Amino acid sequence: MAAPGVSARRDAALIRVLTLAVLVALWEALGQTRLVFGEALPPASAVAAAVAREIASLSFYRHLAVTLGEVAGGFLLGALPGVAFGLAMGARRVLGAAADPYVAALATTPKIVFLPIVMLAVGIGPGSKVALGAISAFFPVAIAAASGMRAIPPVFVRVGRAFNLRGGQMVRMIYLPALALPIVTGLRLGLGVCIVGVLLGELKLASVGLGFLARDYYDQYDFASLYAVVAIVFALASLANGAMSRLARRAEAHR
Amino acid sequence: MSAPILRVENVAKRFVTATGTVEALAETSIEVREGEFVAVIGPSGCGKSTLFNIIGGLDSADGGRVLVEGKPIAGSHRDIGMVFQEESTFPWRTVVENVAFPLEVAGMGRRAREEKAMRFVRLVGLDGFERRYPAELSGGMRQRTALARTLCAEPRILLMDEPFAALDEQTRMLLGEKLIEICQALKQTTLLITHNLSEAVQLSDRVLVMSFRPGRIKRTVAIDLPRPRTSDVIASERFASYLGTIWEDLKAEAAKGLAALETARRAPAGR
Ligand SMILES: Nc1ncnc2c1ncn2[C@@H]1O[C@H](COP(=O)(O)OP(=O)(O)O)[C@@H](O)[C@H]1O
Ligand SMILES: [Mg+2]
Repeated sequence: MAAPGVSARRDAALIRVLTLAVLVALWEALGQTRLVFGEALPPASAVAAAVAREIASLSFYRHLAVTLGEVAGGFLLGALPGVAFGLAMGARRVLGAAADPYVAALATTPKIVFLPIVMLAVGIGPGSKVALGAISAFFPVAIAAASGMRAIPPVFVRVGRAFNLRGGQMVRMIYLPALALPIVTGLRLGLGVCIVGVLLGELKLASVGLGFLARDYYDQYDFASLYAVVAIVFALASLANGAMSRLARRAEAHR
Repeated sequence: MSAPILRVENVAKRFVTATGTVEALAETSIEVREGEFVAVIGPSGCGKSTLFNIIGGLDSADGGRVLVEGKPIAGSHRDIGMVFQEESTFPWRTVVENVAFPLEVAGMGRRAREEKAMRFVRLVGLDGFERRYPAELSGGMRQRTALARTLCAEPRILLMDEPFAALDEQTRMLLGEKLIEICQALKQTTLLITHNLSEAVQLSDRVLVMSFRPGRIKRTVAIDLPRPRTSDVIASERFASYLGTIWEDLKAEAAKGLAALETARRAPAGR
């Protein structure tokens, strides 16, 4: 007999699959009959076919590569300074107090408002998307690193001093492990908003990238292909989030 | 009698804060001999943790000095092992990894340090739990892990600041018994800082009573109870008479401490 936890998980999975099946069937029916939304809701089968077409086409990979590159670049350029700045904010009370209101205000500002400025600064090419992704990633990472730094119990540092740890050992054996979880959590949030920033930028103004591709299909009234791109972006974002979650679980496992 | 292994000579400490100067310690002197178990007892706020930090080298004194084997020390010293009042086990390390921490700092290889750490895990009675993480243990087990971690560095002097303060009375009694056993097995020189009267008498060869602000040693009481000791000692008449003797001195200081606390509480209401 299975343990209660296992059977509950199996039930949840079953419900999830059934829900999806019902929704897809409903979608297919609505799409075929064009009862609601008319042309704007192509049937699921047409979208699936469009996904297959995209995956088989060479130009799709050019768009994919550009978007992945922009996300990776934006994430690196935003998250690394974010970690450094956040740690400094957490370690130095004065800096933290001085920067807190600005960081909090900017963190909640939709980053898309910076797009015109960014485009003026670095042009309308992929650079502007990288910049938007970086600006987006910076804040959640900085905030998580700062609060993680502030949350380190002072007694850990005193234990380190009592055992005569050198500076490098203090970082490696006390600070890094104590900060692993909050930083990974921040990185996960940062990657999410970085993807949002890059795609928003591509939707607004670009000549290449998945956001541009979606926009292009929209302009051509090719809704099945539009939905296909959306589905692919959704799948990729889920994959990225899943990878970050696994990292977070590893950091959290032992607390 | 042998020369003391630890000497605290006329140590003084002031804290200057926005609201004024707190004279935490004044002319505090302590001597601990090799193999001796000495307790320092005093009311909350009398400067016990300040003394702990100065002896352990985490804070500097404004006057006086600390000597190990007659040599003045500055900063943390490998002969002095500290056990903190707060929860101090590392949550990202298993019990044995926590205990092996000082060995890892010293650069010992993995196999060797785990082997040595396991000796101390067994010593504090945590064998079977060595692969557990602190979050899976009780408060008493975590404090034993912290004790084993400090002992694993083999300090000549074990210095503890209210290590059992966060534990319930019964756990504390049993842990006290365990501590006596460990210290006797290792012939461990120990300086225990506490505010708990029965704990001080149960464990010690000598109890030093501290006065309230400025803190200094007001009186020394030699505890002449038989060893090896267990927690059963608390049922004896002599135990009770020691408690009475020390309380006579402690009472006035505790009252001063309480009055100071109440004054501090009253102050904000007058704003
Ligand atoms: N860093 C500090 N700054 C200012 N005052 C302090 C500081 N540390 C301790 N004190 C004050 O010194 C006195 C003694 O504190 P402490 O040594 O922690 O006492 P105990 O451990 O006996 O409770 C208290 O009045 C406390 O408020
Ligand atoms: Mg204290």
